[in-house]
Amino acid sequence: MEKQPMECKLSRRSFLKTSAFVGGTAFMAGTLPNARKSYAGTLTGDNNYPYTDANTVLYTTCLQCTTACSIKTKIHNGVLMKVDGNPYSNMTLKDNIPYELKPDMVTNIDGKLCAKGQAGIQHVYDPYRIRKVLKRNGPRGSNEWKTIPFDQAIEEIVNGGKIFSDIGEDRSVEGLKDIYTLTDSEVSKRMAEDIAKLRKKEITVKDFQRSHKDHLDVLIDPEHPDKGPKNNQFLYQVGRIHRGRKDFTDRFVLDAFGSVNWIEKTTLCSQTNNRIWNRTTRTFDNGSWVGGVNSPRPDHANTEFYLVFGSVVFEANYGPVQQSEPITEGLETGRIKMAVVDPRMTKVASKAWKWVPVKPGGDAGIGFGMIRWIMENERYDSNYLKSATKAAAEKAGEPGHSNATYLVKIVDDHPGKHLRADEIGIGNENQFVVMVNGEPVAVDPNDENTVIEGDLFVDRTLDSGIQVKTPLQLIRDEAFSKTMTEWADIAGTDEGSIVELAKELTSYGKKACVEYNRGVYKHTNGWYAAQALVVLNLLIGNFDWKGGTSRPGGGWNFVGNRPGQKYDVNQLHTNKLSRFGITITKEGWNYEESTLFNGYPAKRPWYPFSNNVAQETWGAVSDEYPYPIKVALVSSHTPMYSIPGGQAQLKTLLDFKKVPLLIACDIVIGDSSQYADYIFPDVTYLERWATPQQSHHTRVRVSHIRQPVIAPLTDTVEVFGEEMPLSLEALMLGIAEKMNLPGFGKDAFAPGVDLLRPEDFYFKLIANIAYGNGPGDEVEDADDAELELFRKSHEHLPKHTFDEERWKKALSPDEWRKFVYVINRGGRFASFEDAYDGDFIKNSLGGFSRLYIEEVANTRHSMTGKYFQGYPIYEPIIDSMGKEVIDKEPFILITYKESWGTQSRTASNYWGQLGLQPENYVVMNKSDADKLKLSNGDKVKVTSTSNPDGVHLLDNERSRPIIGKVQVIQGIRPGVVGISTHFGHWGYGANDVTVDGNIIKGDPLRGTGIHPNPLFRLDDHLNGTPMSEPIGGSVSFYDSRINLIKV
Amino acid sequence: MGSNKEPNQGRKEFIKKGLLAGGGLLVASELIKWKPMIEAVKATQHTEVLPLVETVSTEDVVIRMQKELHEALKKPVEEIHWIMVIDQKKCVACDACTVGCSAENGLPPGVVYRPVIKEEIGTYPNVSRRFTPRPCMHCENPPCTQVCPIGATYKRPDGIVSIDYDKCLGCRYCLSACPYGARSFDWGEYHTENTPEVMPYELEPTFEYGDEKVRKGNKSPIGNARKCHFCIHRLQNGMLPTCVTTCIGRATYFGDLNNPNGLVASLIGSPRVKRLKEKLGTKPSVYYLT
Repeated sequence: MEKQPMECKLSRRSFLKTSAFVGGTAFMAGTLPNARKSYAGTLTGDNNYPYTDANTVLYTTCLQCTTACSIKTKIHNGVLMKVDGNPYSNMTLKDNIPYELKPDMVTNIDGKLCAKGQAGIQHVYDPYRIRKVLKRNGPRGSNEWKTIPFDQAIEEIVNGGKIFSDIGEDRSVEGLKDIYTLTDSEVSKRMAEDIAKLRKKEITVKDFQRSHKDHLDVLIDPEHPDKGPKNNQFLYQVGRIHRGRKDFTDRFVLDAFGSVNWIEKTTLCSQTNNRIWNRTTRTFDNGSWVGGVNSPRPDHANTEFYLVFGSVVFEANYGPVQQSEPITEGLETGRIKMAVVDPRMTKVASKAWKWVPVKPGGDAGIGFGMIRWIMENERYDSNYLKSATKAAAEKAGEPGHSNATYLVKIVDDHPGKHLRADEIGIGNENQFVVMVNGEPVAVDPNDENTVIEGDLFVDRTLDSGIQVKTPLQLIRDEAFSKTMTEWADIAGTDEGSIVELAKELTSYGKKACVEYNRGVYKHTNGWYAAQALVVLNLLIGNFDWKGGTSRPGGGWNFVGNRPGQKYDVNQLHTNKLSRFGITITKEGWNYEESTLFNGYPAKRPWYPFSNNVAQETWGAVSDEYPYPIKVALVSSHTPMYSIPGGQAQLKTLLDFKKVPLLIACDIVIGDSSQYADYIFPDVTYLERWATPQQSHHTRVRVSHIRQPVIAPLTDTVEVFGEEMPLSLEALMLGIAEKMNLPGFGKDAFAPGVDLLRPEDFYFKLIANIAYGNGPGDEVEDADDAELELFRKSHEHLPKHTFDEERWKKALSPDEWRKFVYVINRGGRFASFEDAYDGDFIKNSLGGFSRLYIEEVANTRHSMTGKYFQGYPIYEPIIDSMGKEVIDKEPFILITYKESWGTQSRTASNYWGQLGLQPENYVVMNKSDADKLKLSNGDKVKVTSTSNPDGVHLLDNERSRPIIGKVQVIQGIRPGVVGISTHFGHWGYGANDVTVDGNIIKGDPLRGTGIHPNPLFRLDDHLNGTPMSEPIGGSVSFYDSRINLIKV
Repeated sequence: MGSNKEPNQGRKEFIKKGLLAGGGLLVASELIKWKPMIEAVKATQHTEVLPLVETVSTEDVVIRMQKELHEALKKPVEEIHWIMVIDQKKCVACDACTVGCSAENGLPPGVVYRPVIKEEIGTYPNVSRRFTPRPCMHCENPPCTQVCPIGATYKRPDGIVSIDYDKCLGCRYCLSACPYGARSFDWGEYHTENTPEVMPYELEPTFEYGDEKVRKGNKSPIGNARKCHFCIHRLQNGMLPTCVTTCIGRATYFGDLNNPNGLVASLIGSPRVKRLKEKLGTKPSVYYLT
C-alpha cells in the first residue's frame, strides 16, 4: 500500500479483486422449483441467504478469550460477516454432529457461541488496525510515529547502532546480533549440561569456567554462569497466545535465539490453579512425581450439588459457552442444587440456591470450616481415602486412590517429605509407609496386587524416633486449629452457612463438586485456600466419577512427539541451540540451586513451582536481577493495562538504560505498545494459523485448528523470498533470515525440508492431528468433492495467503487429502458419545491424587527462608517478607469481567462491549453509598494504599486522575467495591496519535470508563511490583484497599 | 441515539411533502388500502430447503427444534404459528443473542432487536437478579401495525409481524405504538464512521426477509423502522433464529405452536409460563417461563 496505514483504505487491491458486491447469490439459481405451495416458496419473491452454500463457510477457532471455542465463519465477498459455533465440535454443540458428515450437508446447523466470539468481526475489522511498521518519531510514549519499511526495521533491530539519531537521540543501541553471542549448537549443549550439574552442586563455578574457558565470553557473567549466555538478554513477553503459535515462538526464542526468556502472562490468569491441580494429580513413577493435569473441572452435566467459589461461570472462567448449558439444564430439571461463594452477586450466584457473600481473601475460612464439620461428623468417604494401593482402590470400587494415609515426617515441627520404607527398614526408597491398624506397612502406590488400607488419622512417634502424621491428620489439625465461629469470621459469614454447605456437599455421594477460580487464588494466600477446596473434592473422592471432578477432554497430539507420529516438530530443528540459565522471572529454579544464593531474603522472589510469572518481569528488569535485559519484544500483551499495578513499571519501560530496545508486535497502537520504539503489525486470530488449546469443559477430545478466513489486513512483505502478510511470524522469520538463525529458512527442519513461511510450520502440526497416534488413527481422505469445496471456500483469499500448489509443498503428497479433511471441518472432533464409561468418566485424571505435596513442603520461600507447607493451611494476607498486610482504606477492591468483555480485544467491539454497556462503574453496596452520600452516576476519585493520590501515569509527563461513576447495587458485600476490567483505555484507538505528521483522531467511545490497574497494592519490599502468591505465582488481584472521594 | 436526528436519506422528506400537499389523513387512508405484502408478492421464485441430516442427535434440544422447524416448513404457511419461549431460569444474561442478532442482521448504532434486560431485586443479602431477553413479541393483536399509515408493517399468517422495507416511509409511528419498545429506527449511522475508515462488514449486504440489501446512501433499511423478525431469512432456509442457535444457556426455544407434539407447544403448558403485559390484550407470540 502506498499511503500510511491509518488513512489507507481497508479495501486493498487484493480485497477489491475478490469482492463482487452484486451477484454474490448466484448459487440460488441452481435450486429447483417446489411444486407444493409450501412455506419457503410462498412468502417472498426472493430467498436470498448465501450462507447455506458451503463455499461461504470456513471453520476455525476463536481467540476473543482464551477458551478457544471452535467456530464457524460465514464470508461474503471476502468479508467476514457472521461467526457462530462449529457444530462438529463438542465445545459448541452439546451433541456435536458426526465428524464424517460432509460439510456441504450441514451448513444449516449453527453451534452456540458467546457475545465476545460473535463480535470477533469487529475485532478483526478494527479501523485502528496498523498495516505498516511504525517507528517512534519522538520520545517513548509521545505517540508520534512514522512508517518505515519492514526491511529497514529488521535491519535496525538486528544491527542496532545509532538508530534513533533521526530524532536526536545520540545513544548507540545494541541490536539483536550483539546479544546473540552463543551460536554454536554443540557448545550450547555442553554448557547446558554443565549448568544442570552446577544446579545440583555436582560441579563448581571454577569447574565450569575451566571446562568452557574458550567460550566464557558468551556468558552474561562468567562468575555466575547460571545467568546463562547473553542471548538471555533478549526477552520475549507474550499475552494471550495459544498452542501452535506458542510452539512457533518457542522455536524462535528458545531453540533458535537460545534465550530462556519466553514469558507468558499466565500468573495474571490461572497459573496457581494449573499448578495446584497439576501437583495434586501427579503419579509416582520410579521415584518421581510425574504427569499431572492442569485443570480438572466439574462434570457439570451430571453433578447434583455444585459449589462455586469465586468463579464467574457464566461470564468468564474457561468457557461460558461450555459451562452454561449443562448447568442451566440441571437447574431447570432440578438435577443441580447450586451454591455460590462470591462477594458479588454474579449471574451464576443469582441462580443459586444459596449465595454466600464471602469476605475477599476469606475463602479458606469456608473451606476449613467445611473440612472441620465433615471430619467431626465423619462425612468423608473413608472407603476411598483409606485405599493406599491400586489393588485397594479396585477392591473399593474406586477409579483411583490417594496419599491420604501416607505418613509424613515431622522434623523440627515442620511436616516435610513422606517417610520412605527404607528409613524404618521395612522396604525400599521408592516405597511409602502407611499405618495399618497401628503397624507400619510399606506401600507402592502402583501395586496392583496387594490390597493395603491405611489408617486415616495417625499422629505418633515411631519406634525409630521419627515423628509422623498422615496428610489427613495434618489437614484435620489445621481445620481444628480454629472453631467453626472463627472460621466463619475469617470468611465474613455465619457458622450455619458453612454447616449447610458441608452437609450438602456430603449428601450426594460422588455427584457433588467444588469448583473455584480466581476469587480464591488471586490472593497472597491463594495457593493454600485453593488446596483446601481441592481437598474438599478429595474428601468425597469424586475424581473421575460421573458428576464429580473430571479431566478436560484434551485432543490429539499436534507436536508429534509420540511414537508413530508424523512430525516431531521440536526435534526437527537443524542446529538447535540448548538454552540454559535462570529466567528473568527466576521461575522453575530454587534460589538455593543458583550461584546467586546469598542468604535470605533474596533480592527478589524466586518461583520454583511456577512459570510465566508476568508480574515479576518488569520489576526484575528494573532491578536487573538476575541480569539486565537488552532487547524486549512484547506481543499480544499489555503489561501497563493487565498487570495489576503495572503502571508502577512505566518508568522502566520508558527508561533507555533498563530497556534499551523495546519492540512491540500488536494489531493496534495499544495501551502498552504505544511506549515501544517499534511496532510491527500483527494479524488477528481470524487471519492466521494455529492449533489452539483444547477445551477444559468438554469430556471428549477437541483438536481444532485456526486458519486465515479473510485476507489479512496488514501489508505484505517479502521474507526468504516469499510474500506474506506482516505478522508476528513474519517478524520472527525476518529476524531469522537476517541473522541466519538455525531452524528457519532452508533445510530448517531437516535437509530438504524448509521453513520459509508460516504454513511450513503450522501444516505439520495439523498433519499430526490428522494422523493421530499413527496407523489406524488417521482421519479419512477428503474426496474430490471435498477438495473442490476446499478450493472454493478459500478462493477469496489472496495468493500470498492461499495458494493450493504452494500449500501442498508444505506437506508430503499423501498427507494432502487428510489435511483438507481436517481443514474442511475446522479440526478433529470426538463424538459427545465418547464421554463416559458407566459411572466413570472415560478420560481419567490418572488414578492417583495427593492431599499432601511433599516437594512443596521441602522448599523454602526465597524471601523469608521459611518452608512452604505441603497441605492447606490458613494464612492471612501477607507480603513477600511474610508480614501481614493491614491497610486502612475502607473498601476492598475486586475486579471482574462481563460476559462480553476482555481486557483489550473487545475494546473495538461496537456490537458487544461498546454497544451493550458503553462504560463501566465503581460498583458498591447501597449501604456504603448511603454512608458516603453517593448515588448512581456520581463521580468519585479512587485512591488506594499504593496510590494515595489516585493518579494514573500515562508517560513521564502526563497523568490523569482515576475517576469513575458510581453504580449503587444491592448485590455486593458491603465494604467491597467492584470495578470491571474492560474500560479506561488510553490507547487502542481511544487516543489521538500522529503518524507521518498526520493526526489520527481516536474514537472517544473507546476511551470511556475507569480502569483499576493503577490502584493495586504494591509489595512493600519489591520495587513497584504487585503482591503475589509465592508458590503458584499468582499476582494478587483482590487484596487492595481503596478509598472513594466524591468529585 | 439522539432523538432530534434526521435520517440520512430523503424518503422522509417525501412523506412530509406528501402530507403537506394532500392532507395527512387523506393520504394516509389511501395508503392503508394498499395490500399487505403477503398478498401482493407473487411466489415466482421457489427454493428448496437443505434437508436436515438424519444422523444428527435429536437429543440435543436445538437439533430437535430444527427438525420440527423442517416439519413445519412442509405445511402451508397459514397452518403455522411461530412462537418463541424464553426460559428465564436458563437465561444467563450473556448477551450472546443480542450480539448474534446484531451481526446476523447487520445492525447499526442505536438499533437493537433483542436486548437482554437485567434487573436486580431485593435488599442485601437477600438479592436476586432477573434477566429478560426482549425480542419483538410478534403479537396476535399488534398495536404497531395498526398505526402504520401505509401497511408497511403487517402480520403474516404464520404470526410474524413483518416490515416491508421498500414501503416503510420512516414515520416512526410504530416505534411509539409498540408497548414493548421492540422497534428502533435506522438513522443511517455506521459504527465506524467516526474512525479512520468505515469497515467493510458495515457495507456488505444483509439478508433480512430474504432480501439482499446494502445499507448505503438512501437505501433501505436506512430510514426504516427495524425490529426482530424471527430471522425469517433463516427460517425459510430451514434454520432456527440466530438467538436460538447461539444461546449458550439454551434458554430460547422456537417452533410452531400448531404442532401439538412439538417442543414449544409442550413448554407453554408449564405453570411457569407468562407473557409480557398480557392485560394490554396484545397476545404476544413470545412466552416466558419465569
